[in-house]
Amino acid sequence: MADTAPPPLLEMSRISKTFGPVQALNGLELSVSPGEFVTVVGPSGCGKSTLFNIVAGLEEPDQGGILRFKGQSCHAAELLGRVSFMPQRDLLLPWRNVVDNAILANEIEGANRREARAKALAMLPEFGLAGFEKQYPHQLSGGMRQRVALMRTFMFERDLLLLDEPFGALDALTRTMMQRWLLDVWQRHRRTILFITHDVDEALFLGDRVLVMTARPGAVKLNCPVPLPRPRHADLVTAPEFVALKRQVLDAIEEEAMKSFTASTGAHS
Amino acid sequence: MNRSALRGVIGAILLLAVWEGLARGFSLPAYTLPAVSEIMAAVWRHRAMLLPAGWLTMWEALSGYAVGSVLGIGFAVLLAVLTPLRGPLLPVLMAINSVPVAAYSPLVLLWFGIGVASKVVMVALAVGFTVFLSALAGFDRVDRRSVDLMRSFGAGPLAILWRLRLPAALPLIATGMRVSTVRSLIVAIVTEMLGAYGGLGWIIYQAVVQIDFVQVWSAIVVASCISLAFFGVVGAIERRVIFWR
Repeated sequence: MADTAPPPLLEMSRISKTFGPVQALNGLELSVSPGEFVTVVGPSGCGKSTLFNIVAGLEEPDQGGILRFKGQSCHAAELLGRVSFMPQRDLLLPWRNVVDNAILANEIEGANRREARAKALAMLPEFGLAGFEKQYPHQLSGGMRQRVALMRTFMFERDLLLLDEPFGALDALTRTMMQRWLLDVWQRHRRTILFITHDVDEALFLGDRVLVMTARPGAVKLNCPVPLPRPRHADLVTAPEFVALKRQVLDAIEEEAMKSFTASTGAHS
Repeated sequence: MNRSALRGVIGAILLLAVWEGLARGFSLPAYTLPAVSEIMAAVWRHRAMLLPAGWLTMWEALSGYAVGSVLGIGFAVLLAVLTPLRGPLLPVLMAINSVPVAAYSPLVLLWFGIGVASKVVMVALAVGFTVFLSALAGFDRVDRRSVDLMRSFGAGPLAILWRLRLPAALPLIATGMRVSTVRSLIVAIVTEMLGAYGGLGWIIYQAVVQIDFVQVWSAIVVASCISLAFFGVVGAIERRVIFWR
C-alpha cells in the first residue's frame, strides 16, 4: 500500500459561515495534500478571506461542517499556532528591525531568541535581504517589507502556509519577480501552500491546482489542476496550454462575477 | 543648532528686547511689568533663596510625575486587559477627572498636610489622568489585523499585550507624558501657593503679600527654566525611544 496517495493535510467539508444576515461561505469543500501548492481565485467579496480566517483558527465555522487537519477532526480554534498565516498587509512591527520581525512567531512559541536570530540571519540572503538585518520597516521598500513578512511566515515552521494575496500591493514587475522567487523557495522547502489571489495569471503560474470560488456565499466552483511542468519560467504565461487553462478559469470567474453583479443591481432596482 | 532652534532663540531675544524697551521707555511700574534686566538682577540677588525653592518644587513635580505616570500606565494596562472592568470603572475615573484638579487641593492639603506629600499627590493626580487617558487610547488604537496575526502564531493575551499593544501604545503614552511635564510644575506651584513650607509657589505667594512684584517675576523665571528643561529632556527621550514614528 506504499504507493497510495498520502492522506490530505487539510480537509474541509460542508463548511459554512454566517455573519448576522450575511452568508460568507456555504457548503465549501476543500482538500489539500501535503506538499501541494493550491491557489484560490474568485470575485471580490466571495469569502476567500473568511476561508483563510477559519483555516488560521481566527473564526469558527458554523455548526455542521467538517474540518480535519492532519487527518484529525478539529475546531478552528485548535488551529491557532498550527498553521503559518500571512495576511494581505505585511503588518511588520515598526519598532522591530528586519531580523526581530522575522522571528516574531518563533519568539511567541518560546524559542530561544539568540538561536532564532542566528537562523534568521542565515535565511536573509535567500529572501533577498542580506545586509538589511538591522533596518527597520520604514526604511524598506514595499517589496522588501513583503519579503520580510514572507520570511516571518517561513520561519514559523508549520506544515501549512496560508498566503493571502501576498503580492497584491506590489507593482507588476516586482510582483513577477516575487512569484518566481516564491516558487524557488517553495521548491526548496517543500511546504504546503494555500494561496489567495485575484490575479488568474498568478494563480496558474504558481499553483498545482487552482480553485475558483463562487460569488457569495462562497463555495468551490471549479477545481482546475495545472499539469504544467516545473520549474516554471516566465515565458510559460504565453504557452498555449497555459492560455487554454486561463480561458477555462476566466470563464468560471466571469460567470460568477456576472451573477454577483446582477444580484447586486437587481437588489437595487 | 538647527534652523528652527535658531529661529526660536532669535524670537526669544527679540521678545525680551521689546519687553525691556517697553518697560523702560514707558517707565512702567513694577506691578505692571518690571524690566527684564531688573528681574534678572533680582534672580541673581535672591539666588540663595530661589535655588533651594526651585529644587524643592522640581523634586515635588518630578516625584508626582513619576508616581502619576506609573499609576496612569498601570491603570490603562489593567483596563486594557480586563475589559469587563471598563464598564464600572471608566465612568468613575472620568467623573473624578472632569473636575479641574486644583479643586481637590484643599482636601489634599487637609489629608496630606502642607508638606511635600500633598504636592506630590496633587501632581500625581494631574499627571496620572493625562497619562492614563492617552495610554488607554493607545492600547485601543492597535490594529485588529495585527492582533489576529499574533493570535494565529498562538499568542495569548499577555504576549499580545507585551509584544504588540504596549509598544503600539508608546507614541500616545509618550505624548501624554510630554504634555504632563508642564502640567506637573503648574500643579506643584499652585498647590504651594495654597499652603506650603517652601518652594517657588510659596515664594510667589509671599512676594505678592509683600507687594514685591520683581520677586514674583524672578520666581516665575526660575519656574519657566525648570519647566522648559523638563519638557526638553522628556521630548528628547521620546524621540530616541520612539524612533519609528
